[in-house]
Amino acid sequence: MDCADARTYLLDRRRGTLTGELRVSLDAHLADCQACRQEDAADRELSAVLQDRLPRRRAPEALRRSIEKSLMSEPPRASVGSRLAWRVPLLAAAGFAVAVTAAFLFSRHSASQRMLAEAVNDHLRVLYSDHPMEVESGGIHQVKPWFTGRLDFAPVVAFAGDDEFPLQGGAVAYFVDRKAATFIFKRRLHVISLFVFRAEGLPWPALATQPLGAARGTLETSRGFHVLLWKKDDLGYALVSDVDATDLQMLAVRIEGGG
Amino acid sequence: MRATPHLALVPEPGAVGAKVWYRQVVAKEAVTLSRAALDHLDVLYRVARNLTGRDSDAEDLVQETYTRAIAAAGQFTTGTNLRAWLLRILRNAHIDDYRRTRRNPVDGGFDDDLAACPRATAPEPLRGDAELERLRGVVTADIEAALASLSVDARALILLDLEGLTETELAESFECAVGTVKSRLSRARALLRERLRDYGS
Repeated sequence: MDCADARTYLLDRRRGTLTGELRVSLDAHLADCQACRQEDAADRELSAVLQDRLPRRRAPEALRRSIEKSLMSEPPRASVGSRLAWRVPLLAAAGFAVAVTAAFLFSRHSASQRMLAEAVNDHLRVLYSDHPMEVESGGIHQVKPWFTGRLDFAPVVAFAGDDEFPLQGGAVAYFVDRKAATFIFKRRLHVISLFVFRAEGLPWPALATQPLGAARGTLETSRGFHVLLWKKDDLGYALVSDVDATDLQMLAVRIEGGG
Repeated sequence: MRATPHLALVPEPGAVGAKVWYRQVVAKEAVTLSRAALDHLDVLYRVARNLTGRDSDAEDLVQETYTRAIAAAGQFTTGTNLRAWLLRILRNAHIDDYRRTRRNPVDGGFDDDLAACPRATAPEPLRGDAELERLRGVVTADIEAALASLSVDARALILLDLEGLTETELAESFECAVGTVKSRLSRARALLRERLRDYGS
């Protein structure tokens, strides 16, 4: 063992994680090499200095409160916006700048990215909500009537749930600027959110290539989630989950009455 | 942190029980992860503060870390080291921020810094008792200045090792082999001692 190798293992030796032949070789090298013994002593002193004199600051209380709030409430809508937003209560004057920044960042998103980000954020709200369902499923014929009077449209969903994709329940949510019917399905241990909303006036992706029964949709992936977006008549659909894309397409076909 | 006593209910079999269980599992996983993540706030802030050198930058970095962690919560594997996972997110966020705000994105490259490490190629000019005495005399400001003079990667490696991450966890964070982490850490610490000699004198 030469000096370069020996110095690579000095820390492991001091921490007791160096064993066997390497330990024997290093001990033999140290017995013969004063420079490496000095190196070991100096590095040991560095550990003591870092341990004793590197400040161990605690997080400020304002930061703790802000993060606690964000962890226990719904997920943030946009990474950069939320990062800036926590300072707003402390720096009221920054509000305008935050709004301008958010507007600028938002405007840079392409149309399909806006739809995609909204779908994933809405799915995260379902995942992180203490009560993701306002109506628990006793079947689609119990869930669909529940939306009556709560929405300004009737969600059209041909699929009532089955053993592979059991319908768990529903809730009312917002998709971009409008109300949406949320249907929550499961696939084994995975949660799948279906959002149904009025389609007009939204920046839909230009190309819809995935055949979904009678409709065609767009499959995208964002932050580890697959998102299927499609339109049928005047309604829009967003199906979001971390299940395999093929599973998601299978469910979409059933929702469209093709499976 | 608010109490959630209903989460302690045992999953029940049967249709009605399954609905209750489903709701509880979703809520419980989110609350448990959130509570556990908050337990690591001081560690994240401490590392962020020593990485960035400024209170405000550290607060932004920690906030960004939690924002990313919330968005990626589904990717966390239950039973693995949450602190290591959060620190890996923090490191990535710091690298992204560093590259976004510095004109030269290569400036903080690990190899650039360590290539200049005198110990990698030349004998040490200060040895033995003299170096030990010098190290014993450094103060907090010296350490912070010496750390700040290192590359982003060398600084992060030393700090994450100090927080007890294993070499395997460090290797995952730095996307390199365990052997590479071992040698880089050794060189980074040697370089820090060289810088401490400069700042402590």
